[in-house]
Parts: sequence; C-alpha cells; structure tokens
Amino acid sequence: MKFAEFVCRDAVTTGMASSDRDGVIGELVDALVAAGAVSTDHRNSVLAATIAREELGTTGIGHGVAIPHAKHPAVKQVVATVGVSDQGIDFGSLDSRPTRVFFLLISPPDAPQDHLQALERISKHLQEELFREFLIQAQTCDAIHDVLDEADQANPD
Amino acid sequence: MNIVILGAGTVGNSIARSLCAQHHNVCLVDQSRTALAEIEERLDVGTVCGTACDPVALFQAGIQSADLCLALTDRDEVNIVGASVGKEMGAGRSVARVHQPTYLDTTTFDVADHFQLARLFSLEHLTALALARKIRVPGLLALENLAQGSVEVQEVSVQEDAKADGRRLDELDLPHEILVGLIAGNRGTVIPSADDVVTPEDRVTLIGRLGELDDVRRLFEHKPPPRQHVVIAGGGEIGFSLARILEHRLRFHVTLIESEEARCEFLSERLEMTTILIADATRRSEMEEARVGTADVFVAATGHDEDNIVCGVEAREMGCPRILTVVRRPDYDNVLTKLGIEQAVSPREVLGQEILAMLQSGPVISRRQIADGAAEVFELEVREGAAISQAPLKNLPLSRGLVAAVVRSSMIWVPGGADELKVGDVAIVLVQSDSIDAVLALFAPGNGD
Repeated sequence: MKFAEFVCRDAVTTGMASSDRDGVIGELVDALVAAGAVSTDHRNSVLAATIAREELGTTGIGHGVAIPHAKHPAVKQVVATVGVSDQGIDFGSLDSRPTRVFFLLISPPDAPQDHLQALERISKHLQEELFREFLIQAQTCDAIHDVLDEADQANPD
Repeated sequence: MNIVILGAGTVGNSIARSLCAQHHNVCLVDQSRTALAEIEERLDVGTVCGTACDPVALFQAGIQSADLCLALTDRDEVNIVGASVGKEMGAGRSVARVHQPTYLDTTTFDVADHFQLARLFSLEHLTALALARKIRVPGLLALENLAQGSVEVQEVSVQEDAKADGRRLDELDLPHEILVGLIAGNRGTVIPSADDVVTPEDRVTLIGRLGELDDVRRLFEHKPPPRQHVVIAGGGEIGFSLARILEHRLRFHVTLIESEEARCEFLSERLEMTTILIADATRRSEMEEARVGTADVFVAATGHDEDNIVCGVEAREMGCPRILTVVRRPDYDNVLTKLGIEQAVSPREVLGQEILAMLQSGPVISRRQIADGAAEVFELEVREGAAISQAPLKNLPLSRGLVAAVVRSSMIWVPGGADELKVGDVAIVLVQSDSIDAVLALFAPGNGD
C-alpha cells in the first residue's frame, strides 16, 4: 500500500503549535477535519479513540517518531496525515526522547487488513534513518509530500 | 445446550455449577486430575484431563458438537488459543477470558477477530461494570451496559420545563450517535418515531456510546442531580476500571485509595479526574484521612476478600451510607449478612449472569428485558442471507424495533437510517415485546433462494 493511497495530502502539517500529546493528536485530527477526511461531527470521538489507544501504551516508538492510530467508523477508508513539530514533544516515547514526527492513522473498523498494511508501511519506512531525518527537517508540506512520493517510487508495493 | 469449559479453577467450577443447575450438558477440560475428580463428585458433568489447547482433549470433550466453548483458565494466552482451536474444530461460539486490557483493545490489532472468538471478556471489567450499575442512584439507573460496556442505555425522567418538554423528538436535534430507544408514560411504553412529543413524567430511554449520554440528559432534566462522592479502596484492575467508568460522568467525584506507590503512579497517568491517594484502606486512620465518612458511596475492591470486608465495616462505622464490597468466596455469605454488609458483588456471579444471557440459539447472542418487560434488548448476529443485511435500515420493516448499535470488527457505533448492516456484524436491537417475532424474522438466515 503506497503512502499516496492513504495519506491525506491536504492534512499534512508542519510547524505544529501544540506542546503536549493530546494537543498534537487534536491538531492532526483537526487537520483531517479541515481537509474533509473526517466530518466535524466525529472530531471529538475520533480524538477520544486515539487518546484511549495511547493510554494503553505509547505509540512513540523512539527515534523522534510516533504513530498514533485508531479505528473509527467516521472514515470509509484508511486515512492518515503527517505532522512535524519543530520543538519536539514529550510523547512518553520508548527512548524517552522528544517526538518530532507524527503519523496519525484512522481506519474504518471493517478493513482490518488495510489498517495493518498501512501501519506496516509507515513503520517500515520509519525504521530508515534517512526517511526520518528528511521528515524532521521538512519545513513545508510540499517537502513532506516529496519525501513520501520518493518512498513510494522506491518501494512501489 | 452442549457446553465445553476449559479450566476447572474457581471460575470454571462456579460457571459449571450454574450451567448444570439449568440442565445444560457440560464438559470440563483441565490438566489437574484432582481438580476434575473433586468436581465430578459434586456435579453431573463430563471431564477430560488435558491442556486447554490440546486438540485431542478438546475432541474427547465433544467440542465438535458444542454450542459454546468457554475458556476460563487463569492464563490469557491459553484461553485465547484454546477457544480458537475449539471454534475451528466445530464449536458454535467461543469466548475467552483475559486479564490484560490490551487484548481487549482492537485499534492496533483485533485479537478476538483474528482468533475467531465471539467475545473476549475481562472478569475484572465485568465486575467494575456491575459495581457501576449499582452505584447509580435509582432513577438515574443505566439499564444495561451492552456489548462489553461500549454502548450505554440510560433511563431519564422528563422534568417539567426542561428543554425537551413538549417538543417533538426531531426538534431536539440530538447528536448523530444518540438515539431515543423508548418513551414510557401514560401511553404505555413505545419505541418512538421522530414526530413523537416528549411530555413531563415520561421516562425516556437514551442510547449512545459510553459517556456521551450525560450531556443529552440535560435536555430532559434541567436540574442536574447532585454530584456524588465515591471512594474506591484498591487500585487493581477492578478499581481502575470502575474509576474510569465513573470519572467520565460529570455527576461523580471519585477518590481511589491504593497502597502501592508504583501502582498509584500508573493510575494517576491514566485517570485524569480521579483523586488518587497512597494509603492503606485497612488502617482506620488512613481511611479517615480519605474522608470516607462523608462519602456517598464506598467501594471495597482490593484483591483480598478479608480486607474488603474489614474496610467495608470500617467505612460503615465512619458513617458512609452505601457500602459495596467485592467478595470472591461464596462461603462468606453468612459472615457478610451478620456484619450487615448487604451489597456484596461476586465476580463469579457477574460472569455467570453474563454467560447465562449468552445461552441463546440461532442469530441471538444475548437477550435482556428492560422497562419492566415491555421491551427487550437483543444482541443479534447478522448471518448470510438475512433480510436485515439486504437494504438500508430505513427501508426495512423494523416497526417497533430499533437497531440501537452495530458492532463491526469489535468497533461499536450507533447507526443512522442510511446505514446498511453487513454479514458478520452484531446488531444491538431494541424490540417492543409484542414485536419480537417480526423483528427476529429479519435476522433469520436466508434459505439459499
């Protein structure tokens, strides 16, 4: 599954304003709402579902990245967005270091395979140091789009 | 019904006893010959000695013709695998008991779905739900917590001059995820349509996702009920779950007492609105510091029956009017009565009720009466060819029946008229008692034509 198939380009956010976990997740959910990927009615419940998942154990997997995610009927297909924070945020990450790059993934409950594939796609690329660094350094949304497009071209599956 | 129980520990044992009492055909599988021999002496059950995941043992237990496989050992992984093997070998439905809360979460990976289990449940969470139901004052009573507590049903009495008074349901502009299930009043109990008018003294049944009903209640009652102070002793899984259920409701203030410092830290990270105290609930001085005497409700939910009984008695002496105690051992009943503890909650009894509600046939997973028997809440499986899956809900002849929630891949939501059910969904359906047959017919599997 390519990034282009599930990352909502219009919701990609750089220079995030929030300084805590729930704020970051809220900012990204709002970006999905503004881009039309999640309806306003469902904003709070998508946010609550994502925070509930974080409370079971952080999705901040270290190296400055986190993949908050939830399943929610508000979406009809897997949608994701990327956010980059300049100052870094305490996301309770496994290596206790500040988190700079966030992939928020929301999947419909009836597409568990797509959900797993999207999670796998994101996790696999985030293992690569260069991919992470390019995202952390991205100053504009276009720069993030470029990083994702390049990853798709290099790994078309 | 034929029921295979994996695990002959205290939980398996007590469930076997209540199933036998209802004349079901029970077979227990356990590794311990001694445990099985003890049970055979007291109950008319089959037994097989073997591990819960052993296909040969399951075969000997008659899993192929079992209607239900209940995995109740004290190990999560054994329960999950055993129940899954049992289902694949031919059991009608399999359910497994787990302790670890992350197995119940489906957002990263849906364990129940992967292993083809009808349900994963946590005894601790079910106990917390049972306690929560008892804590609500009468009149604010939540009727049932369905689908493992993700969907809530609450009854509210309409007060005069409340916003909803004299208005049609469709004028109330209820949020998308909240439904009015029943209106009970002078007209009797009805499943309402959009043009029904709400009048004072009506009792309205609201349905929605857990924690989302409190705002909507205000449309019907302009005076919010007074906030209650609940003190919970014991920050284990039961106390934690209970605090979590209550803290999302505005009318409760919760104090949780836990003696272990590390656990307190864990709890305080996860419970935003609860006051957490590092204290020993078996010491009177520390209970006094927690102001147990002025609390409205005291819940003794530590891991030890004896501690629960002791601090329950102390709390009562300090002046707390309502005491709930978690008591696991059935032979303490006599002692409890003598000590004047009236409200004891036994996790095994809670589970027993849950399992009895599940002993249904065909597409019916469970059924419970509400509103003094005027209606019932069904959990129904959507099977291949069922009429309910063949058109949007608004086009189906669901008169006096209401699809209140849909469970799909363990996610739960309240559907709108344009939504369509899919094979494999579980629908939570509210049915007026005189229309049960008509509504169940929509869920009957197709004849292949």
